[in-house]
Amino acid sequence: MRFSTLVLKNLARQRVRTLLTVVGIAVGITTVVALGAITGGLKAMAGDMMRVGGADFMVAQEGSADLSFSVVSEAEEQAVRETPGVERTLGVLMHYSRVGSSPFFATFGVRPNELRGTPPTILAGRLLADGATHEALLGADASARLAVGVGGTVTIEETDFRVVGVYRAGSIVENGGAYAPLVTVQGLARKQAAVTAVYVTAEPGVDALALAARIEEEIPQLTSVSTLSDYGDVDQGLRFLDAGNVAISVLAVLLGAIGVMNTMIMSVFERTREIGILRAVGWSGRRIVRMVIGESLLLCLVAAFIGLGLGWLAAQGVARIPSVESFLRPEFTPELVTRALVIAVGVALAGAAYPAVRAVRLLPVEALRHE
Amino acid sequence: MSEPAIAVEGVEKSFDGGRIRALRGMDLEVAAGEFVALTGPSGCGKSTLLHLIAALDQPDTGSIRVGGHELAERGDLNHYRARHIGLVFQLHNLLPTLSADENVQVPMFEGGRSGPERRARASELLALVGLSERQHNRPAELSGGERQRVAIARALANDPPVLLADEPTGSLDSKAGAQVLDLLERLRVERGLTLLVVSHDDRVASRADRVVGMLDGRAVSEALPRRTARSVA
Repeated sequence: MRFSTLVLKNLARQRVRTLLTVVGIAVGITTVVALGAITGGLKAMAGDMMRVGGADFMVAQEGSADLSFSVVSEAEEQAVRETPGVERTLGVLMHYSRVGSSPFFATFGVRPNELRGTPPTILAGRLLADGATHEALLGADASARLAVGVGGTVTIEETDFRVVGVYRAGSIVENGGAYAPLVTVQGLARKQAAVTAVYVTAEPGVDALALAARIEEEIPQLTSVSTLSDYGDVDQGLRFLDAGNVAISVLAVLLGAIGVMNTMIMSVFERTREIGILRAVGWSGRRIVRMVIGESLLLCLVAAFIGLGLGWLAAQGVARIPSVESFLRPEFTPELVTRALVIAVGVALAGAAYPAVRAVRLLPVEALRHE
Repeated sequence: MSEPAIAVEGVEKSFDGGRIRALRGMDLEVAAGEFVALTGPSGCGKSTLLHLIAALDQPDTGSIRVGGHELAERGDLNHYRARHIGLVFQLHNLLPTLSADENVQVPMFEGGRSGPERRARASELLALVGLSERQHNRPAELSGGERQRVAIARALANDPPVLLADEPTGSLDSKAGAQVLDLLERLRVERGLTLLVVSHDDRVASRADRVVGMLDGRAVSEALPRRTARSVA
């Protein structure tokens, strides 16, 4: 008999209680995993938004609560463009509106000539023509979802755009949205002579980080975004999301730990006499602790794997909701799996600590008298 | 003169804040390889003494030496319980979820044996107590006598020199009780075990080398079965 067999048999003797405890912890882990995958997907989307058109970094208004609230004036855009070391820029006005089933359809207002400098991959048709006001390039996902191809019409806030091309880009938001002439999108968004952000490509041989720092220094009302942590400077939402994620995870862990502790206390109490027998035949306190913690760990690790599976399913389910699928693709990373396992081990140790100490402190002779 | 296997001297033990005085200056010596029966009325302190010798509890005062070592000075009581004594209880005290051979293996986790060694040793011990055929049965599937024989096999798991038994025949019918006593006697002869058995059972006393009678927490009589009896009080 292995030591693990004993642990397993101890858990198997109260199958219903063991099952309910596993379900309780698994629900907590599911929450953590699903939230983590969704948050990760949103962060990945933010990461994609920083690199539109293969740019080195993005420049936006400092301190925006949300990137979509950022306003960069044409004068500021011009100043960025003229900064030594800048090869090219792409000013983008991001405008979100309901189109079809998607409430967050992204329309990227761009100058056609700038888009030609860093074009997305055209799958059909052509790029926007100079001077055109009601043409649109449709992302591949949006084209499929709206069943509109080249030559068709897409209506954004009661304004019709003729689809002249279908493209595929690096981000889910771009693929689920459209490029349209800046001047028209400024009218839709009621933001004249402004863009949301400027995407900057540095000249070959120029240090992009140093260039970003120079732009921030020369135009203090703007901030550069090169990394996800920078992104929080122009979009507080990401920070709120992170904070919410941590808060819910902590709550899930606490509830899980209480559940495990309850189960392990009951289990140890019911087996007081058996623990006395184990002490009487020579088991050390350390081995008793290993047994109790082993049971707790097994419970939590089984729950962790169930939670990982259910969390993956839940996040996939959320991503398939029509109003969400245009901007969210859940991210399952090794870091998320590690977090779930660390939480499971933490819950197991926290939940088993007191019952294990209680088991060890039992005087063998008193434990043997227990009925 | 060789060191006794068990030497108890002036041991006192009280419970409930001193209200119950279970042992009042108990003295006892058991020679290596000797079979001693402890008898006396309920509450006279027999089981308390056995628990103290097994290091399941500690005396208030007095000295207990087992194998020449003072228990109060030992820092490794788990090791002592695992390797130096075997314990048999009245109510077998087997773990209900484990089979007979798994129960016998339980003490061996502290004995430094590998898994295959534990299994082989358990099979050997169950054969010794005549239960090879029942090794995969759980306690609930065994008779009272069989359970007690499994408990004896478990007590011998780490080959201890001393076996302590608390009413080993107390919950058995006469036939099963006789089988258990036959087994204990055989083990003593074959393995040179020192046996200290607490019992009300006259059959136990009749097979012992020596019978120590207890009353009110101390030894009051000593008898040599089938020979002469003498008072020590």
